[in-house]
Amino acid sequence: MVTYKLYYFNMKGRGELIRLLFAASGQKYEDFRIEKNDWPEYKAKSPFGQAPYLEITNGKKTMILSQSVAIGRYLARKFGFAGKGDEEQAMVDMYGDQISDLLNEFAKFMMEQDETKKQEIFQKLQNEIMPFHMKFFEAKLAQSKTGFFFDSGLTWIDLYLFNLLGLLGDQRNQLFEHFKAVKNLYDKVSEHGKIKAYLETRPETAM
Amino acid sequence: MVQYKLYYFNARGRAEFIRFIFAAAGQEYEEIGFEIEQWPEYKAKSPLGQAPFLEVVENGQTFQLGQSLTIARYLARKFDLAGKSAEEQAKAEMYADQVFDLLNEMVKVHFEKDITRKIEAANKLFTESIPNSLKVFDNKIAKNGSGYLVASGLTWADLFLADFLDRLREKKDILLSNAPAVKSLYEKVLDHPKVSKWIAKRPKTEKYLYQKPQNFD
Repeated sequence: MVTYKLYYFNMKGRGELIRLLFAASGQKYEDFRIEKNDWPEYKAKSPFGQAPYLEITNGKKTMILSQSVAIGRYLARKFGFAGKGDEEQAMVDMYGDQISDLLNEFAKFMMEQDETKKQEIFQKLQNEIMPFHMKFFEAKLAQSKTGFFFDSGLTWIDLYLFNLLGLLGDQRNQLFEHFKAVKNLYDKVSEHGKIKAYLETRPETAM
Repeated sequence: MVQYKLYYFNARGRAEFIRFIFAAAGQEYEEIGFEIEQWPEYKAKSPLGQAPFLEVVENGQTFQLGQSLTIARYLARKFDLAGKSAEEQAKAEMYADQVFDLLNEMVKVHFEKDITRKIEAANKLFTESIPNSLKVFDNKIAKNGSGYLVASGLTWADLFLADFLDRLREKKDILLSNAPAVKSLYEKVLDHPKVSKWIAKRPKTEKYLYQKPQNFD
């Protein structure tokens, strides 16, 4: 029997994709939330000194994986949320990499200390980067028969984009005015069986 | 029969490790290269408005893929360079994502206009980020017994790491002196019979082409 233990901070951030995948699959796991003061201890245990990382134990063997999206794809393939067939899986991957690019741009904004630079990045994010990426997602989602990215059903990228939109907070309402299919995806994921139950019980955190 | 077409600028840039994958697999492909001035024409044909992009033609059907990592993962799986189990595949992807983060950090340094921030960021890259990651790679490789990042042998993650090290040019020597297993891996990849053939015949441009990260028009 395989057991899973996720190590991440008490926030959504880059760990929530993994939590959403576990929720969607119904697979039990230990959701360990690291206190900020304890981070040095856990940093030393993580493969590259970063979180999230996932401990996978199968009998006597333990494997530790880091890089949130590598973990995401691994679980998605195990749980059937990776897309059907090599070509669809690759297309899912492609949109996933686009979402990662966008998330990284957002992270740049969040981490910027210099107020002037931060404002500059925010403007670029709001006026150029967000719309650029959302346009692509909108175009794909608008074609969907199911409201998810792919007609074969829910894939990890639906959860990934849902999480990113969640991190934007109220800013997303502005986006939703221009990108209706993206809004529809957000709503669909929120309402999706096991996800809905998870969203009702998960810890409330700002990010 | 499947035909592959790789579209990218006439440079190494974000496509070179994909070329390494084709080479290691001994897979023929068509290289469609262009200059920056020609980009608008190709951008219009691309799936995401970005390069590189891949076209796969099979049984009269064309399938397009963008995002260098996606292309790499797809080809690696097709050519058995992805790792021999779901777990190895995930490890290879983890290592590759780590290399990708380093590459993006390097690009960020390149584009930083403020001199103070640029020097600070370059410092962090070469004294912390890269050495820290190399140390982890070094430990993994040393433990594996295969001389590569995963136990079963060569994967696309090794090719990506080798390409990244290439970009560091003379800076890599000192970095690799502290990571002997990585140094061996790097030499193994360059000496790989099929990869070395590609390296010998590839265009002698040293261009990595740090084009603007995004074109937002």
